[in-house]
Amino acid sequence: MISKVKHIHALTSIKRERLLPVSGHVLVRRLQKVSPTDVIVVAPMAPQFILLDIAAGLNVPPSRADELLQRETGEELVQGDVIAGPVGLFKRVIRAPQPGVVKIAGEGKLLFEINSPDYELQAGMEGTITNIIPERGAIIETKGALIQGVWGNGKITYGVLQPVSNEMLQELVPEQLNIGFRGAIISAGYCSNPEVLTVAGNVPIKGLILGSMSSALVPLAKSVDYPVMVIDGFREKPMNRAAEQILIANKDKNIALNAQIYDSYTGNFPEIIISLSAVSEPELPIETETLKAGKTVIIINGPEAPQIGKIDTILSGKQILPSGIKTRVAEVSYGSEKQATIPLINLEIINE
Amino acid sequence: MDTTTGSAKSVIAVDIGSTITRVQFYDVVSGRYRFLAAGSAPTTTGAPTFDVTEGIWRALEELQYVTGRKLLSEKDGVIIPSTSDNQGVDIMVATMSAGNPISIVAVGLLDNVSLQNAQHLAQTTYGKIIAEISLNDRRTSSERINLLTSIRPDLIIITGGTNNGASHSLISIMESIGLSSYLLEENQRPHILFTGNEKLQQEAKDGLGKICKLRIAPNIQPILGKESIYPAQKEINEIYIDVRKKQTGGLSEALSWTEGQFTSTAAAFGRVIRFLSEKFEPEKGVLGVDIGSDATVLAASFNGDETLRVFPNLGVGSGSSGVLEKSSLEKIKRWLPIELSDQEISDYIYNKSAYPSSLPVEVEHLEIEMAVAKQALRIAAVHTIPGLRKQIDSGGTLMPAMEPIIGSGRILTMAPKRYQSLSILLDGLQPTGVTTFALDQNGLLPGLGAIAEINPLLTVQVVESNTLLNIGTIIAPTGNARAGTTILRVQISREDGRSFTREIKYGSLTVLPVEIGEKVSLHLRPLHRFDVGMGGPGKAGKVNAVGGAFGIIIDARGRPLQFSFDQEKNRKRNEVWRKTYQKYE
Repeated sequence: MISKVKHIHALTSIKRERLLPVSGHVLVRRLQKVSPTDVIVVAPMAPQFILLDIAAGLNVPPSRADELLQRETGEELVQGDVIAGPVGLFKRVIRAPQPGVVKIAGEGKLLFEINSPDYELQAGMEGTITNIIPERGAIIETKGALIQGVWGNGKITYGVLQPVSNEMLQELVPEQLNIGFRGAIISAGYCSNPEVLTVAGNVPIKGLILGSMSSALVPLAKSVDYPVMVIDGFREKPMNRAAEQILIANKDKNIALNAQIYDSYTGNFPEIIISLSAVSEPELPIETETLKAGKTVIIINGPEAPQIGKIDTILSGKQILPSGIKTRVAEVSYGSEKQATIPLINLEIINE
Repeated sequence: MDTTTGSAKSVIAVDIGSTITRVQFYDVVSGRYRFLAAGSAPTTTGAPTFDVTEGIWRALEELQYVTGRKLLSEKDGVIIPSTSDNQGVDIMVATMSAGNPISIVAVGLLDNVSLQNAQHLAQTTYGKIIAEISLNDRRTSSERINLLTSIRPDLIIITGGTNNGASHSLISIMESIGLSSYLLEENQRPHILFTGNEKLQQEAKDGLGKICKLRIAPNIQPILGKESIYPAQKEINEIYIDVRKKQTGGLSEALSWTEGQFTSTAAAFGRVIRFLSEKFEPEKGVLGVDIGSDATVLAASFNGDETLRVFPNLGVGSGSSGVLEKSSLEKIKRWLPIELSDQEISDYIYNKSAYPSSLPVEVEHLEIEMAVAKQALRIAAVHTIPGLRKQIDSGGTLMPAMEPIIGSGRILTMAPKRYQSLSILLDGLQPTGVTTFALDQNGLLPGLGAIAEINPLLTVQVVESNTLLNIGTIIAPTGNARAGTTILRVQISREDGRSFTREIKYGSLTVLPVEIGEKVSLHLRPLHRFDVGMGGPGKAGKVNAVGGAFGIIIDARGRPLQFSFDQEKNRKRNEVWRKTYQKYE
């Protein structure tokens, strides 16, 4: 059976597209080195328009209003510029309500686009621009550590990583959040106390990485100002060993935390990228692989989740789970000499 | 005898679900079409592959392994048509439910009239209404333009005005839609479905046709109070297909195998339910429910008139957190027969949403999934019942009598015990009167719906070949009484002349031991003006029934089911119901 690969890599090649859904102006060039806060592309993501009823404003029929127009499509205007008129005894005119551009005019009406600030799409990670997607954005590549999560609150940041402790086995409690974590991206085992999220916002921290989180905290985690990313899932369990080791090893390094909302259809996963200078040229990570004996796997559901283990054997035929469901299973060794029978569908491959 | 008129062709139906892609193989055996085998594989529309063909290919590989028939060729892909040495297949059809819901803006004149029509129409596909525009919203034209250019919907449904009715206000709204579409890049312009005042169709063509991908359907409300949704529903399905083709990697290649025979799973499901309503007792409606990973679909048909409702983000996989968000933990917990903490339930639901294809290992986790399925079905039923009631010109909030009620979806078919499927349908739908529960045990119905378009004979013959498992006859009296009051006397007469009588008390759940396939005659005598669907409150009558996998079930628990604020009482009651079922499993 083919399984997804869960991306937890101490060193790999990382390639990401940073694109806008609308046409914009790309500000970077090929082979340019970028930092996470560099702007890649700008575009008017939410342009504002005003539909001016010239005919009604001048109190003339639409055909006459068209004759009285003084501006053409594409013309840039400043506030107060005359758009149409004058007409009548009092030389009535229509003026530009704000600075902007004439988009279209006719049948007595004019659509006017107000100048509004462009949306700026940042690189979100350190790396090199390897390709430009005209008018949309660019492809950035780097070498480094990569940790994929399952849940994010939609926010993104860049900063220094500070694990709360050298082991991510324990629950994060408010007392641990001292002033020393101000401005840092902190990581911890799991969290079930809402006060932690509030206190973290007051410190303030720059971002929060958790192995697991109580689902009761989801509404609060969505509302906090800083990014929150969950690596393994919703429960009260320590962080998986592979992710823990990478985070500890990269203590005090700058990391890019993209806690984007998980969407399997678009491929948007929350993730941590830690750019590293490496002599070797690691391959891009494989996305899917066949489950077989000897493979390292992470258990994604059931009482053993999120343990990392090795497949000892894949049993032939379907087996009956304690729930009564029949499915293909594997014997997986994990921890110190523990073994469990896990449905193949509840396993994802890890290539550490 | 060969009943396939000599032009028999083998068919593969592909269903691309949000987590699993299934393929089913049909061919002629002894002169009749039969379902022969199935294969499945994880769906690959999304990350990491973004190529739908990969999942289809793997599912076909499994089918190839199961049947021993060569279906795939490295050089040509799927072998179509079949060869003289029994390789390949003659026809492929495909259905799809995978993908994020298409984004829809509903436009109407009045909130509680035409806007409601647009909402109903939007609910016939995997869509999500992201904004509504009507005369009541008080937006200026500029604000409407700004809204539409910023949210960039996939589809705008325009309704409003009876034929020859109001036109000026709708024209003004259409002007904003036209301008906003013009401002978007060509590949981002929305599909537009105009289904309003037919007098304005030409204006829609002139004003919108050159800018957008415009489709026109007959007025959804030609005269006030009469909603006619079906013609527009067909157009919505075509738009869904267009949007999916644009969004889904590899779909064009997959559709080259099906020669265009492609539809949404919900539309195909609706079609087969309509088909069955013409086959079964036409005086009663047929109801089908499909509980998927992401969405729940309800389809009903009375005399060929179809009601289809799709509820995206309301399922038992990726949609399970949607069930929690659309109701509450308490409402899910009230279906549990075991004691679990709120946190354990909620955590499991969120994990299931994150890993939708994962399976419940422990009994407790299966119970949570079943509770989520019941609640998803309950939400879907409550929202669909008013439409069903309207179709039979009656009011009320209870599920009208339907015959049969067919359940589809992996949570039902994979349930280790039959009572689990039965209880999901019974608790979620809460039927009334006398009905039969059937289970689409091989998940064939969407595929059969798609095939019905090109080969209705296959659909008929496969449905007749016991593909639907009769779970049991349900008798659900409605009325009011104190718990423990006798409300119904049932006399069961077997074909061999033996008979027995049972008194049914209000609040009880009873399973009558009738063998599967055994024909019995039931004489129902309601008391205290209870209604058992025999023509009104207190009316008695005779019904012929066939025993299902679960015999005959008398559900006298009341309609709608009432719950206590005390969750422990609810838990104990669920435990009693479970034990009742388990005695007969």
